[in-house]
Amino acid sequence: MVRFLVDRLLSLVPVLALVLVVIFSLARVIPGDPAVTLLGPGATQEQISALRLQLHLDQPVTQQFLSYVTGLAHGDMGRSVKSGRPVFEEIMRRLPATLELSVMAMLMAIVVGIPIGVFSAIRANSWFDHLVRVISLVGVSTPAFLLALILQLFFGIYLGWLPISGQTSPFIFTERVTGFALIDGLIAKDPPALWDAFLHLLLPTTVLAAFLAATIARFVRNSMLEVMGQDFIRTARAKGLSRYAVIFRHGLRNSLLAAITVIGMKFAEMLGGAILTETVFAWPGVGRFMFEAIKNRDYPVIQGATLVFAAMFVLTSLLVDLLYGRLDPRIRKKMQ
Amino acid sequence: MSRFKILSALMLACMFVAGPVFSQSDRNKTLVVAVSSDPANLEPGTNKAEPIGSEIIFNVFDTLVSWKAPAFQELEGRLAQSWGVSPDGKSFSFNLRPGVKFHDGTAMDAESVKFSIERTRDINPYMKSNFGLIESISLQGALDVKITLKEPMPVFLSLLAQPQAAIVSPTAAKKFGDKFSVNPVGTGPFMFKSYTPDTSVVLEANTSYFRGKPKLDRILYRVIPDASTRRLEMEKGGIDISQQNAQLSSIPADELKAFKDNKDIEVIEVPSQIIRQLEFNNNITENSPIKDVRVRKAITYAIDYDGLLKGVLGGTADRVYGPLTTNSWAFNPKMKAEAPNYDPTLARKMLQEAGVKPGDLKFTLYSFQGSLWGAMATLIKSNLADVGIEVTIAQTEFPSYRALQTAGKFELALDGRQPWYNDPDAHITIGYLSSLANSAMTFRMPKDPALDALILKAQTTVDFKKRKELYYEVQEAIANKVPGAYLFSPKLIVFKRANVKGLVVNSAPPLNEYWNVSKQ
Repeated sequence: MVRFLVDRLLSLVPVLALVLVVIFSLARVIPGDPAVTLLGPGATQEQISALRLQLHLDQPVTQQFLSYVTGLAHGDMGRSVKSGRPVFEEIMRRLPATLELSVMAMLMAIVVGIPIGVFSAIRANSWFDHLVRVISLVGVSTPAFLLALILQLFFGIYLGWLPISGQTSPFIFTERVTGFALIDGLIAKDPPALWDAFLHLLLPTTVLAAFLAATIARFVRNSMLEVMGQDFIRTARAKGLSRYAVIFRHGLRNSLLAAITVIGMKFAEMLGGAILTETVFAWPGVGRFMFEAIKNRDYPVIQGATLVFAAMFVLTSLLVDLLYGRLDPRIRKKMQ
Repeated sequence: MSRFKILSALMLACMFVAGPVFSQSDRNKTLVVAVSSDPANLEPGTNKAEPIGSEIIFNVFDTLVSWKAPAFQELEGRLAQSWGVSPDGKSFSFNLRPGVKFHDGTAMDAESVKFSIERTRDINPYMKSNFGLIESISLQGALDVKITLKEPMPVFLSLLAQPQAAIVSPTAAKKFGDKFSVNPVGTGPFMFKSYTPDTSVVLEANTSYFRGKPKLDRILYRVIPDASTRRLEMEKGGIDISQQNAQLSSIPADELKAFKDNKDIEVIEVPSQIIRQLEFNNNITENSPIKDVRVRKAITYAIDYDGLLKGVLGGTADRVYGPLTTNSWAFNPKMKAEAPNYDPTLARKMLQEAGVKPGDLKFTLYSFQGSLWGAMATLIKSNLADVGIEVTIAQTEFPSYRALQTAGKFELALDGRQPWYNDPDAHITIGYLSSLANSAMTFRMPKDPALDALILKAQTTVDFKKRKELYYEVQEAIANKVPGAYLFSPKLIVFKRANVKGLVVNSAPPLNEYWNVSKQ
C-alpha cells in the first residue's frame, strides 16, 4: 500500500514536468504577449518594449524557462503580469471559492443523481425512466450560460428570491479566514452572513450540478442494470434477502464503483473548468482567473494555474483509486 | 424537544429576523459601480492606462490640472491653483494650493509633486515617453514647482491631466513599496478602504477634501464580468452605475432599448473623442489597387454613413468627418463641408474612371473581434458589394490583429483610437506622422517630410491661436490624401439608476468622477 502511494506521488514529477513544458511553449506560441495585451490598441512600440524589458520578456525563451524552473525549485511561481502579485498567492486566494462551488455542486449532483439513477434502473423502461432520460439529455445538452441566465431571470428577477451574482453580498463584510464563504460565516458566528453565503451558492451550484447530475443518473442507471442482471444478484434474491438489501447492499454498492471514477474525474474537471458559470455569476474562482489570464497572456499565471490544475487532477485520481480500493477488495489486493 | 432541534430552530429564526448589515440610509450613501474586470494597479506609478484602475485613481488622487466639466475644453487648476508657461514654451511653473493633505495626513507640496512625477516616469513604461520629455523638475518654494521640458510641448499640460500624472503621497509610497498599488494614498475625494480580488474595491469619503466633502459616504466597485448579469443587477437595483466599458466592442443599442422602458434607469450619453475608421494600408509596398487615390476616394463614397449611425448603432454615435472629432477645439469645419457622403453612383463612376470594372477588386477586411466591429464590417461589405468590390471579413483576436496591422499585412482594416488625453495631438501625431507609421496601430502614412514637419510644428507651437490654425492645415493636408473613410465617434454610454445625481463623465480619458454624486 505504501509502495503504491509513493509510486503514484512520485509520478507527479514527470507529469508536471511534461505539463510545464507544454504549457510554457503553447502560451508563447499564441500570437501576442502580455505587454501587447496589457497596453491595449493605443500603445506605441516604445511603450511595449519598455514594458517587455520590465517583464523580462526580452530574454530568450530558454532563459525564461530556466529562470522559471529555478524559481519553482524555490517555491516561487513568479508574479502576475497584470497585478504584479505572486502567482501562488493569487491562485490560493481564488481556489477556495472554486472548491466551495465544486464540492457543493458535486454533493447536489450525487444527492439528486444517484437516487434517480437507482429508481430508473429499478423501474427500467417505465414512464419515469423515459422521462428521466429525456430530462438528462436536456440537462447534458443545455449550455451552462443559458441555464444560468434562465435561473437568474426566474429566481433572481421574476421571483426575486435569490441573488444573481457574487459569492456574498457586497454589503456584508465578513472577515476572510478560509475563503470559503460558508465556513467563514460559521467562524464569524454570523447567521445573516452564513445565510447570505448559502443563498449566493444556490444558483451557480445548480448550474454546475445539472450537467453532473444528469451524467451520474444515466451512469448509475446503466451500471445498476448491468449489475442487477448478474448471477450473484439472482443468488441473493434466491437466498431470500430483502428487496432493500438486494438493491442497495449488493446492487448499488457494486455499480457505484464505476460511478465513483466518473464523479471523481468530473470533480477534478470542475475545479478548472467552471469558467462559464464563474463568469456569469461573477464567482471569484480560479476558472475565471485562468480565462482572464489567457486573454491577457499573463504567462506566469497561465503556467502556475495549469500546474496547480494538473497536480489537483493527479491527486484526485489517486484519491479515487484509493477510494475504489477501499470499496473493492479485489482492487485493494492488487495495490498491496 | 432535543437541544439540537431547539438550537437549529433558533438559528433559523435568527436568519430570518436579522437583516443585512447595511441599513437603508447606508445604502443611500453608498454608490455601487459595476465594472467588467478586476482593476489592476490602483496608483499612477503602476497603472498602464488600464481603464478601471484609472477611474479609481481619478477618485482617490488629484492631478495638477484637470478639464472643466461639462465641456472639457478648458483646463482648470486642481492641486495647482495657478500656473504659467514660459515664452519659449519649455517651462511650466505651478503654484500649489496650500493646506491640501494626503489621506495619511502628510502635506501635499512641491516636493511631493516632484517625487510623484519622477517616480511615475521611472517605474511606469506607459508614461516613460510622456514624462521622458521632462528635463528637470525644480522646487521654487514649498508650494512652487517648475517643470522644464527638453523641447517646447504645449500638449504637456494635457498630459498632466491624465490619471497617470496624479500626485501620490511620498510617505505612503515609500512605506508600502510595491504594495502601494493595492494601498493607494492620494489627496482625492475618496480614500481607499479595501480591495477583494475579483470581487470588489471599497472607497470611503475623504471628509476633509479640499473641494468640499463628497456627498456620498462610500463607493463600492463590484466586479461583474458578464454583461447580461450586469444588466440584470442594474434592473434588480443591485448596482447603481454601469459604464459600458465593453462598448468598445459591443453594441449599446440593445441595452438602451432594454432600459428605455424602465423608469428606474437613466442612460447618459456623452460625446467622446474616440474615432472609428475604415483605414487603408497607406504605405503598402506591394502593388495594390488602394495605392490609387481614385479607388480610395470611391470607397469613401460607397459607404452608407447614415445607415451605420442610425441602423447599426441606433443613434449611439456621432459622425466623424476627418482626423479630429467635431467636439475637439481644433476641429476644422471644412472637414464637415468636404466630407464624402453616401453616393454609390458616384463611387461606381470614380472606379470606372480609375479603370476598375465591377468584380475586379477583392479585399480582405480585417478588424477587431466583437459584435460592434462585426456589424460595421458587414455593412461595409454590403456597401462595397453594391459598387462591385468583393470583401471577405476577417475579425481577428487583438494581439494577432495588432501584429498584422503594424507589419502592414493588410489592405483594408477597421480600426480606431481612443485618446487618453484631451489634445488634438493624441489623434494626430501618433496617427499620421510618417516616421511613426510602424510604431503603433496608425494610418501608416507614406513618407512625407512636409506633412511630418507640419504635424510636429503644430505639436510644439506655443501660441494657442497659431496652433489651432496649424491643426486646421494639418487636417486639410491629411484629408487630401484620403487615408481612410472616417466613420463615427461612439458616445460614452453610462447606465445609472434614476436616483443617482451629479455624475461627471470625462471625455478623454472616458472616466467617471464621483465627487459630486449623491443618491436621492
